[in-house]
Amino acid sequence: MAVASVTQAGIIGGHHAEPDQLYVETRELRVQGFLLFMVSDLVLFSSFIFAYLYLRSSGQGWPPPGAPKLDLALAAINSVVLFGSGATMHFALENWKHEKFMKFAGWIVATICLGALFLSGQIIEYAKLAVGWGTSGIFGTAFFTLTGMHGFHVFCGIIYLTILLLQCVHGKYTFQKYTGLTLGTLYWHFVDVIWVVLFSIFYLL
Amino acid sequence: MPMNEVVAHAERALAVFFGIIVFFVAAIALKNDWKARGVENQVFKMMLALLALGAILAILAAFNLLAGKGVEV
Repeated sequence: MAVASVTQAGIIGGHHAEPDQLYVETRELRVQGFLLFMVSDLVLFSSFIFAYLYLRSSGQGWPPPGAPKLDLALAAINSVVLFGSGATMHFALENWKHEKFMKFAGWIVATICLGALFLSGQIIEYAKLAVGWGTSGIFGTAFFTLTGMHGFHVFCGIIYLTILLLQCVHGKYTFQKYTGLTLGTLYWHFVDVIWVVLFSIFYLL
Repeated sequence: MPMNEVVAHAERALAVFFGIIVFFVAAIALKNDWKARGVENQVFKMMLALLALGAILAILAAFNLLAGKGVEV
């Protein structure tokens, strides 16, 4: 199906290049475009992270008086769940490269489940913290904004991976042409890496 | 021992166990992809390295060796 769509695109676009050449050319462009998107997302997170660090360093003391304590044990296991999902996604892509569809499907479902488990952990933490916070201050604003934004990315990632899985089931990707899967894996690793930074600044600093 | 302490100990033990697994998986994947070329593979390698770092941080946090000012240890 992918080959057919590439050939069709070549005819419609008036190009006389071989389908494989066209695929290689557009593949590079798609990868670069996706990387630019990730850079823009990185800038978004960076601006919020630096705002938080600035507020933190310019305050009278940290954490502000009355702020509830964060649960380090829950955050540690939740982090491992998310990092583990990065590992399962890696296995999914490797199995696709080795043309093992069933194993690929199993690993990508595991990734989706681990992502959902991470979000559940976040909800539990939010529920615990909301009791202690009452009205939100600087710390609460920074914490909920950054972790909420990250959680939204995880949620979007779960939808993204589900769509990728459905596309694979319906033959959208072949074992030779699977740029979308590679980009999906990149996105999921990006979400993992952002959490490494957030986990460090909120729980370890 | 109060129930919440039991839960916290279980969470820490699981974090250490799975953290070690994730670290080795990321390290082995990084080793296998080390010679891969292409811009996306370079990004993959960087992200796998950061994933391994994240696993180490989570393990250290689970052991209370790294704990910030505003956390409950």
